[in-house]
Amino acid sequence: MVSARGLTREFGARTAVEDVTFDLEPGQLCALLGPNGAGKTTTVRMLLGLIGPSRGTATVAGVEVPNDQARLAALRGRVGLLTETPGFYDRLSALENLTLFGRLYGMEGATLAARIAEYLDRLGLAGRGDDLVATYSKGMKQRLALIRAIFHHPDVIFFDEPTSGLDPESARDVRALIRSLKQAGRTIIVCTHNLAEASELADVIAVIKRKLLAFGPPAALAHDGTGPRLRVVVAGDGAGAVRLLRGAGLVVESAADRAASPATGPSGDAAAVATSSGTGPSGAAALDVTVADLADTPAVVATLVNGGVPVLEVRPIRASLEEIYLKAVGADG
Amino acid sequence: MNPVLSIFLRKELRDLRGNPQVLPGYLILPLMAVVIPTIMLAFMPFDPTAAAAVDPDIVALFRLASRDPSLAVFPERERMFRLLVREFVSFFLLMPVILASMSAGLAIAAEKQQRTLEPILATPLSDRDLLLAKLLASLVPAVVVTWGAVLLSVIATAIVTDVRLGAAFWPTPAVLVTILILAPLAGAAAALLGIRVSVKAADIQAAVQASGLWVIPAGILLIAVVGRPAARSLPIAFGAVVLVGAIVWWLFRINLRKFEREEILTRWV
Repeated sequence: MVSARGLTREFGARTAVEDVTFDLEPGQLCALLGPNGAGKTTTVRMLLGLIGPSRGTATVAGVEVPNDQARLAALRGRVGLLTETPGFYDRLSALENLTLFGRLYGMEGATLAARIAEYLDRLGLAGRGDDLVATYSKGMKQRLALIRAIFHHPDVIFFDEPTSGLDPESARDVRALIRSLKQAGRTIIVCTHNLAEASELADVIAVIKRKLLAFGPPAALAHDGTGPRLRVVVAGDGAGAVRLLRGAGLVVESAADRAASPATGPSGDAAAVATSSGTGPSGAAALDVTVADLADTPAVVATLVNGGVPVLEVRPIRASLEEIYLKAVGADG
Repeated sequence: MNPVLSIFLRKELRDLRGNPQVLPGYLILPLMAVVIPTIMLAFMPFDPTAAAAVDPDIVALFRLASRDPSLAVFPERERMFRLLVREFVSFFLLMPVILASMSAGLAIAAEKQQRTLEPILATPLSDRDLLLAKLLASLVPAVVVTWGAVLLSVIATAIVTDVRLGAAFWPTPAVLVTILILAPLAGAAAALLGIRVSVKAADIQAAVQASGLWVIPAGILLIAVVGRPAARSLPIAFGAVVLVGAIVWWLFRINLRKFEREEILTRWV
């Protein structure tokens, strides 16, 4: 549904976006993360055909970008955009604003009126449609902007900070709405700095800082590209366990070693276990074991138990999105 | 009318009602264009001797009226009145130029400032329709107000001249062509210049100032060179319509070619 190939955008001597390549399927939600000025908005604008790429191409909702104006107009009818700042005509009512945009998206008459009423109700603005937008709070404007982004039922939706300015309850409702859009098969790209929100909603994480630094499902990104890892806590100093697991062809590190090595990107969780166990007072050792698949977990446990090593705890290591993000952005300098 | 254009037109008209930057112009200019000439016609002395007692400068106007060959066919006491009425036509030529350029100066800059431009550009709306909508939204209110003022002024002039001279003055065909066709075209040219300024402007203040600096003097020049001669001669009036119409067409093409969504979005901070 969204496919980018080598998207690059230069503004004079400055490269805002460089060689961005990714694919998103229908029903996937991608959280586009990156520091301010990283190129998120430029990437979205290129995907919308609002600005042309210096190099590379993209296909959005079946339309190749760049393309002629007629094809791009067709594309814009099939995408929705929530801009970072919800811009409306303050001297018009919410209904008048939505009617204007609805008609620009090709909706008319009873269909448009029904669509507006439905979404005003869903977003908690029923009964406020006739009020001038100038009288709306920031959160109300944000909800109105959400309606504008989705009420024409686009195939692909771009949200820039969708819950910005919303109270916790409204933010929860908006996240529920986004989930329902995803379930309805819409492809969604969310630009956000809210990592908890991204973690909750995203099927795919894209970290961008001019270049695409990381892209993939959160679980896959958590594995450093080497495969999933298990935290195995065994009784004793762990030497026997290491010998047995390496004998079985597995990569094993002590959690303490991983914690001491920033390059390997330990989870905060790993560091905590390493300091509380290791060969410490409890007499337990924490080991990080890389496996081909989490389905290999029983085999790992069997290897240790059959070798006479008491296994106290086994669980998959999941790096937090914050760790993934900071690692990706930090590695780029 | 194209539904997109009618949507924008209605939006702009509703927006205009509460716009403090533009609305005063729409009220004050027509008022001036109707009231000032009517008062002048109502109190103008009939001869230079009487005028000298009121204001010596008016005597020069009497001299101008008596020397104008196009007025020689009229009775002596009517010439000064006819000269005034003819010169007042410039008011109505200038009015759509000023009003349309004021609105057009805000056309894109205001969209940028209230952050509505990107959502608008993200809809299927084409550049041509957006430009045309902005042109009509700037021009139609200006023309409607101008024509309304013209109607009032024509009626007031006819009444005053009938009462004072016993002969109601009605607009000549050349004046009608000038006011009804040439003035809207001059307004369209000013609006297109204003839109171009608005596209390039970094903020609303810059847009309004640049519109005033470039568009209004250009409009006055246009009126001086084309408008005043047009009001005196029907062939010249039609020639002026063709000339200004061609300028409008050319300005629209230039605007369309230079309308870069990318530049507009990326220039704005």
